[in-house]
Parts: sequence; structure tokens; C-alpha cells
Amino acid sequence: MQLNQRLLQNIKTMNFKRTNAIYLSLALLLLLSFSCKDPDEIKPAFNKGTLLTNVANTIIAPAFNDFESDLSSLEASFIALKTSPNQANLDAVKADWKAAYIQWQLVKIFDFGPLRDNGFKGATGTYPTDSNQVNSNILNGGYNLGSIDNTDAIGFSALDFLLYRTNALADFSSNPNYTQYASDLIQKMKTEFALVNGQWINYKPTFIAATGTETTSAFSLLVNEFNRDYELTKNAKLGIPIGVQSLGIQLPEYIEARNSGISLELLQESMRALRIVYLGNNPNSGQGFYDYLVHLERSTLAVEIDTKFSQIINNIEAFNGTLEEEMGSNVNGLEELYYLIQEQVVNIKTDMTSAFGVLITYQDNDGD
Amino acid sequence: MTEIKTNKLFSPFKEISIAPLIIFRIIFGVLMFLGTVRFISKGWVQQLYIDPSYYFGYLGFEWVKPLEGQLMYIPFILLLISALCIIVGLFYRASALTFSLCFTYIELLDKSNYLNHYYFVSLMALIMLFLPANRNFSFDAKIWPKIKSITTKQWTVSLIKFQLAMVYIFAGIAKVNSDWLIQANPLKIWLQAHHNIPLVGSLMQEDWLAYTFSWAGCIYDLFIVFFLLSNRCRPIAYLFVVFFHLATWYLFPIGVFPWVMIFSTLIFFSAQFHERVLDFFSRKTWRENPVKPKRLSSLRKKQTRYLLTLYIIIQLLLPFRYVLYPGDLFWNEEGFRFSWRVMLMHKEGHATFYMVDPKTGRESEINNSKFLTRTQEDQMATQPDMILQYAQILKNYHHGKTFHYGDQKITVENPEIRAKIYVSLNGRPAQLFVDKKHDLTKLNYNLYHRTWLEPFKK
Repeated sequence: MQLNQRLLQNIKTMNFKRTNAIYLSLALLLLLSFSCKDPDEIKPAFNKGTLLTNVANTIIAPAFNDFESDLSSLEASFIALKTSPNQANLDAVKADWKAAYIQWQLVKIFDFGPLRDNGFKGATGTYPTDSNQVNSNILNGGYNLGSIDNTDAIGFSALDFLLYRTNALADFSSNPNYTQYASDLIQKMKTEFALVNGQWINYKPTFIAATGTETTSAFSLLVNEFNRDYELTKNAKLGIPIGVQSLGIQLPEYIEARNSGISLELLQESMRALRIVYLGNNPNSGQGFYDYLVHLERSTLAVEIDTKFSQIINNIEAFNGTLEEEMGSNVNGLEELYYLIQEQVVNIKTDMTSAFGVLITYQDNDGD
Repeated sequence: MTEIKTNKLFSPFKEISIAPLIIFRIIFGVLMFLGTVRFISKGWVQQLYIDPSYYFGYLGFEWVKPLEGQLMYIPFILLLISALCIIVGLFYRASALTFSLCFTYIELLDKSNYLNHYYFVSLMALIMLFLPANRNFSFDAKIWPKIKSITTKQWTVSLIKFQLAMVYIFAGIAKVNSDWLIQANPLKIWLQAHHNIPLVGSLMQEDWLAYTFSWAGCIYDLFIVFFLLSNRCRPIAYLFVVFFHLATWYLFPIGVFPWVMIFSTLIFFSAQFHERVLDFFSRKTWRENPVKPKRLSSLRKKQTRYLLTLYIIIQLLLPFRYVLYPGDLFWNEEGFRFSWRVMLMHKEGHATFYMVDPKTGRESEINNSKFLTRTQEDQMATQPDMILQYAQILKNYHHGKTFHYGDQKITVENPEIRAKIYVSLNGRPAQLFVDKKHDLTKLNYNLYHRTWLEPFKK
């Protein structure tokens, strides 16, 4: 127990030196607080509350409203097709389907609150479609689109399969079950999203007020979902089809929207949407992650992320064919694109997230 | 420690009041009970010990495996029961043993969940097992009046104080590093994230506040124990304890730890303080009919002395084992755990793993979420030993498997596992942590210095 003795002796000496120690530490603290504060340094004003308000009001709310009206247009044009099945009406449905699908790329980033609670993302954006399941549903009827078995037989991807088949118009003309199924898919999305959008109005104040650092706070959710969507976009829209996860063997059956061939457009749109959130708005006006980084004196990183987004978007622009065509003729180009997209992950997931001090873990954490 | 003044030498076998030990037993039991209730009600049993497909065991303890499915709730229920028994002092030794075994078993399952405060509880539970904390104000003392005592050996209370002192002092020593003191990081990062809290929010973005907190935290950790030990300073020191831990509880997601420290440090208060508490709750009956303290044989004394010395030496040396390793401690994390490095760094990583078929040279990028939970992936990406363990998990999964892609069929034998990992430490831009050039399956998981990590650039 000699150690304890020493401990106790220390305590006794501490009593005498106590006042000195306190003065010394106070002096040190004062010294530091003055010497480290540069009076000329003016940080741009920043507030997470403003960022969330901006994202909610100028990005999420308009995106949700636009998406809701896109789905209404899709519903309307489909009714027209049902009444008079002709090529012009089918083309109108396709155009509306595509407009809604493009808008979805922005909406899908916000997978929290009502969108998450209603499981809307999985029900809308899952691909590839299980065409056997779709066909069997059409043939047998009596399906429940909300059941787990039908996760791969609903949403935009199932419509891609139904609208873009070579004999689609013939089926819409002569097969009422076929028409009914497509109609049910559209109805499901429309009704469910109307619900989501309605609930969003009530959720918005909670979202804007939740500026804390806990994982359930809106800011953490936004950062985490932003990252999740980025990685999902990278893997599902490009990586998996070009064979990144399958020993370099291409998997064309995993291409998103394979029948319509708009997968590269969707990828590009997805990157544009992420950039909109990153910048805080379309015309680069409101507060976004970019502004927060600048505020934290991480301008280099802030600019680098934005530049990388531009590079990615421009790079996709350069492809002329569909993803499937490019997979046949331009493997290297796609791989380069993939690596470009991958480089950004470290910027946003590691550097940006740690600069924000956002915690990814759900459990207690003592920092190690 | 008024007892000491009458006695020149610290004597571990001197009889002192048992009251502090009794109160500590009750506090420990209550906190452990509430902590376990909280753990279960947050769904963490399911999330941490049932849902994962793989677990990251500790070196030498990889054989410790979770129970099948819902059976995993059993050790948690045992924790609840034994904590209750500890509170009321019923079948104390058996309860303390059960608690200690169950708690340590759970902690050994997965290092992804390692927290210093869990380690603290494991040690405390082990210590409690050897203390006669049931010899008063307990059902045991009612059932077996022969054990009722109003005194205990001095070492029993001192050991608890020693353990608490270790936590504080080593946490303080760990803060003496340039990131903490000169950069005020990671506190600068963590505090600014709170700029929206009412009233003081705007202060949270100020650098001087991060410096103040960093230095004050370091000084607090280093010296608080000495102030708690001094009779004169104790009341004020305890106010500091309460304030400090409430502040950390408010600002950081550290669960029950602040409460554990706030209540545990009551052990530093005088025997009279604890006696008065017991007087109040037992209407002084705790003082009635005690047995006379037993004199220990010199052999028992010797054994106790040796065991205590051994324990103390281990506790003093373990946190310093990092000096045996070259390189940056925070980067390499060699000798990092079990050293009271609490709330010390902010590490964020991104790990991309590759499975390479040696026959064809073809490679697949791994989707980590297929194998690991989010917490596991997050922890693994910055901790070298977990990176090696994960590489083995991936190797075992892919070895001998035949993959059908389109019309191609590839059987993978003895795959190489490579990784490209970037890590950001304390807000620095991310740096390469692990280069893709290493086949991680060829590297051994042991305690030797890891040469395959990329060097840290400040």
C-alpha cells in the first residue's frame, strides 16, 4: 500500500500549494483565451436553424409539392390512356412518368420523418423489378401491393417495365388486368405521397427546431441521409450494374429503368439533387452544408466538394448512349466515372461529417 | 481520511466505519439497475447483440460468443436481478459474482461497443465481489446476524477511491497532448455543433470557450481527486464534480456515465457523512448488535496485500503500455483501450474493402452493410485490429463460394482481402489510413506494432 501513502502525502502537499495552483491555472487560461483569439477574424454568420429552415422551405417543400403534382399529372395522363389507348397517349404517360421519376431523385434524399415513417422510399424507388412477380400479379389478380412479396413489383421501376415493353400499347388496349395493374401502381404512389406531403406540413416545425447533435436531430438526419443517398446512388445506379461488386462481371439486369434507358439521366439528376442540398438551394443562395463548411473555415473542402459535383455532372453529360449501351462500348469511361463518384465519398462522409461534429452512432459514445 | 492522522502509516487492515461501503453498494446497485433498464428499453440488446451477423471479439477472447437469438436477454435479466439483490444486500456474494460475470461477458462480446465506462463498471463489479459490502443494512445481515458489522478494513474503501482516482488522473494525463491543449480539438468541433442551444449557443462557436473547456477539463481530471481527498476542499470540489459531469451529460451523448461519477465520488466524503445517511434511513438500527471485528491471520493479510499490490500495479501500468509502441497513439490505436482515454478524439473513417480472386485477378468491392451493422462499420473503419478481424470475416465468407453472375460462374478459393481506408482525426482532412497494397488476410492479429498502417501526417 505504499502507493496510497504517496498519494496521501501528495494530498497534504496539495493543501499548501492549492492556492498557487489555482492562480497559476487561472493565469494560464486567461493568457490562452487572449492569445488565441484573433480580433480581426470575422466568421461569416451561421446557424443550423437557418440552414434547416432554408432546406425545409426552399428545397423540401417545393420538391414535395412538385412531386405530388407530377404524380397527379401521371394519374391524369394514364386515365386518358385508359380511355383511348393510342401511341400519343402512351407517350404522354411516359413523359409524365419520366418527369415524376426525375423529381423523385430530389425527394428520395429526405428519407426521414413522414417519408421514412410511411416506408415510401422502398415502395417507390426499389429496382430492379421482378418481372415474374409483376406478370404473375397481372395474371392472377388479387394482389396486395403493400406486401413484402411485392416490394420488387411496384414503384417507378415496375412502371418502367410496363410502359416500355414493345407490346405495351397492345396490352393497354386489350388486357384490362395489365392496365389495372399499372393504374394501381400509380394510384398507390399518388395516395401514399399525398399522405406523406400532408404529414410533412406538421413535421416541418419539428424538423426546423431540431438543431441538436443527437442522432435523432433533424440536422444529423439530414447529414446522414445525404450521405446514405450518395452512397446508394453510387452503388445501385452505377457500381452494381457495371460489375464493381461482382468480380468485374457486368450485371445489366440490375440497371435502373433498363427498358426506358434513362438510367444515366437519373444518375445525373440524382447528383444534381445532392448538389442542390449541399449548396442549400438551386441558385446557390440559401444556407447549405457548403456555407456551414465555409463558416468552419474549411473553404478548401467546401469548394472541392462543389467542384467534384460539377465534374461528375459534366462527366455524365459526355455519355451519348444509355447505360446499357455504354456498358458494351465504353467500359473504361464508366469505370472512370465510378471512381470520380467514389472520390467524393471521403469528402462528404469523412471530412464534412467530422467537421460538423455529427455523430453517426446511435449508442452512447465516449469519443473513442 | 481523518483516520490517517492518528496513524502514521496507512494500514490496510485498520478497522474503519463500514458506512461508506454500504452506501456505495446501494448506489452501485441502483445505478447498474437503472443503466440496464435503460439499455434494454432502448432496444440495444436486439440492436447490438442479436441483430449483428458477426462480432468483434477481443484478442484471446474470441471464443466468447453471444447466446442464440432472444436468449441473449437472459444475461441482461440476470443483471437486473443481481443488481436488485446488490441494492438490498441479499445473497450478496452470489449476486455480485453473477453481476460481474454477466456484465463482463456482455462487454467481451463485441469491441465495437467498447466504452471506458463499461470497462470501469466491469472493474468495479470485480472489486465489489471481494468487498464485505453486505455486512450491514442488508438482508444478509438480517438472515445471518453473525456477519453484521459496523466496521470494515480500511483497504475496502480505499480500493474504491483508488479506482476512481485512476479514472480521473489517467483521463487527465491523456488530455496532455497537443491536439487537446494547443488546438482545443476535438472540443472545438464538438462545442460548435451546439451553437443552437438557448442563451449560451453563440458562445459555443467561440474558440476561447473550446480552449477554456479543454484546459479546465484537463486540470479538473488531473487534480479533482486530490481536492476530494482533502477535508477542507471536499465540499467545493464536489460541486465541481457535479457541475462538470452535468455539463458533459448535457453536451455529449455519454449516457449514464456522468451519473455514475457524480454518485460514486460520494465515497470520498467522510465516514460521519455516510453514517448520518444510514442513521436517517435505518433510524440508527444499523448500529445495533454488531459482531466484533475478526482479526485476520497473518497469512490472510499477506494474501490480501499481494493481491491488492498486484491489482494496483496492473492498473497503474496498463494505461502506459502505449509507450511500447512507436508512432502516433491516436492514429495507430496501439494501447488505446483500457486506459481511461475518455472523450479524447474525434475519428471518422471511410473504408472500402475489396475481395480479390487470386486465380483470375478479378476483384469485387464489398458492400459493408451486408456484413456489419452501422455502428460496427463505423468503429471498424478507424480501428486497425477490427480492420484485420473484418478481413478474416470477409475471407471466410468468400472462401470456397461459387458466384453466379449472368452466365458466368466463378469459384473463389483463398481470396485476398484488400482495403482502401481514409481517416480524419480531430477535424483534419482525411488521410490514407490503409493502402490497398496489403493483403489483409496475410497479416496477423497480435499485439506487435502494426507496420502496415500509413504514417500519420500532423
